[in-house]
Amino acid sequence: MKKQIRDPFLWIFLILLFYPLYPYIGRFTSLGTELLIWFIFTLSFNLCLGYTGLPSFGHGAFYGVGTYAAALTFLHVIRKSGAVWLPLLIGALAGALFAGLLGYGIRKKKGVYFALITIAFTQVLYFVSWRWDEVTGGEAGLKGIVRNNFLGIDIQDPVKYYYFVFALFMLSALVIRRIAHSSFGKSLQAIKQNPIRAEYMGYNIGLYKFAVYAISGLFAGLAGALYCFLTQSAFASVLDWTKSGDVVIATLLGGGSVSFYGPLVGSVIYVMAQELLSGFWSHWVLLYGLSFVIIILVFPNGLLGIFKRK
Amino acid sequence: MLISIISLLLNGIGLGLVYAAVAIGFSLVLGISGVINFSHGVMYAFGAYFFWILNGRIGFWPSLIVTPILVAILGFIIEKLLVRRVYGSDPLFGLLITLGFAMALEEIIRIVFGPAAYSVSAPKFASGIVAIGDFLYPQYRLFIAVLAALILGVVWMIIDRTNFGAIVKAGMFNSEMVGALGNNLPRLRTIVFVLGAGLAGLSGILAAPVWGIKSQMGTLVLMPSFVIVLLGGLGSIPGTIVGGLIVGVSTSLAVLFMPRFVDIIPYVLMGIVIYFKPRGLFGEQNIAE
Repeated sequence: MKKQIRDPFLWIFLILLFYPLYPYIGRFTSLGTELLIWFIFTLSFNLCLGYTGLPSFGHGAFYGVGTYAAALTFLHVIRKSGAVWLPLLIGALAGALFAGLLGYGIRKKKGVYFALITIAFTQVLYFVSWRWDEVTGGEAGLKGIVRNNFLGIDIQDPVKYYYFVFALFMLSALVIRRIAHSSFGKSLQAIKQNPIRAEYMGYNIGLYKFAVYAISGLFAGLAGALYCFLTQSAFASVLDWTKSGDVVIATLLGGGSVSFYGPLVGSVIYVMAQELLSGFWSHWVLLYGLSFVIIILVFPNGLLGIFKRK
Repeated sequence: MLISIISLLLNGIGLGLVYAAVAIGFSLVLGISGVINFSHGVMYAFGAYFFWILNGRIGFWPSLIVTPILVAILGFIIEKLLVRRVYGSDPLFGLLITLGFAMALEEIIRIVFGPAAYSVSAPKFASGIVAIGDFLYPQYRLFIAVLAALILGVVWMIIDRTNFGAIVKAGMFNSEMVGALGNNLPRLRTIVFVLGAGLAGLSGILAAPVWGIKSQMGTLVLMPSFVIVLLGGLGSIPGTIVGGLIVGVSTSLAVLFMPRFVDIIPYVLMGIVIYFKPRGLFGEQNIAE
């Protein structure tokens, strides 16, 4: 019983469960929903970044692909009936597909080259979504998406949607944690620590990289699809590479490189900073950029890294 | 038709040479220090903005000399304060630190200058039209192409013909060894960084009258630099120049033949090149591997 009480998941579950009831911020349900979506995104992204050490700076591509896939599925297949499960599924699978393709293609690249190519990848997708007006709506994006029901349950209401996303988040987090703590996850960490040794021990590094990329792409696509239904639209801006940069910052700031829960901390800071600070000072990005630089210089392992000694 | 092709070709060459001038600094820093310097783009932007301030006051040529020096000083501060601390660690840190700083710097630009775009007019001596028979072309665009080519030529001479250049090339191949052989590696890295910043600032000046000045111009010019470096080969000057020309000309000509894919063409070309030559057209073994 004691072990269960000390499991952070229980506390995360309880805190988030009662979010809509909190004074002041509880009213901003879509903020909470966006936070949950970021949780899903960054937790799975951390499998690539923190666990395997892949400097993927274009992960926003899979999120964006998920958003568009969900939007397009809705607009062309589901239309007004508003059933949400198919777009979500397609979004997640689209994310996994693109991630798998890229992950396979660049599995032999290292460091700088890897990072630059991931950025190039997301930029190409950004331009495609921007220019291919007929399909993606170009700069104006896609609109008119409605979330009516999920297998019969109504999720129109922002609060109900919050709890829907919350349920998906808990599920995803449990799955990702299972993966992270499995022998697969340990192998990923081995690859991060010393890729040459891992290879000599017989691990097929390329396969692992491909696998972790596809898995994180799946959840990234799911997160993107959920975002599509949150905003009931899809815009090319989700594919801009600066978004990918934000994801990396959010994941590492909280301590993703040393802790499973790091991305959660970082996401909270990132989402809250953006929403709350931007209300106070329109140039909040300056503070955000500077504080990020300082934190990374002083605590290279992020905030949770202060507590964990390597 | 032919006239527009030639016109676009010249545009592309000019664009490509300016891009190459920016990319060179980025490539050299990446080659010798292993840092993906995201704040490099902002140096380009500062070049344009400083020039905008000075041009009205002290004239074109003085501004052209002073501005890159100012940007180089800024680069010096950035290197000493920030970038220096991440040498030798995971390249990811350099990327993140410079990214965060670039975000902050761009915001400073927005605070000081506002989000609206500015324009600068071409200097008097080059603001006319060149006419060869029926063919007309803006003087200024020729001017920047020639100037950029000159600058690139000078950089190439320095890297290829001088002792200093030889040490820089060695540093890109194996920086530890260069340090072990008695060269002052940290000072070398600082000099390269400062030079790169100055070059970027100079490119910003050249580009300003043609493409305007806006707060996100730094981030916008960074993408082509990435593509050029990957395409041409890390740390190779001829590679950067060729890469820049390929990117510039393809972007320019694409407007005529496939206007919808203008932005994507450079990436497609890059993808094709690195599929066949993973190190880029002229790339050699370097610190980033």
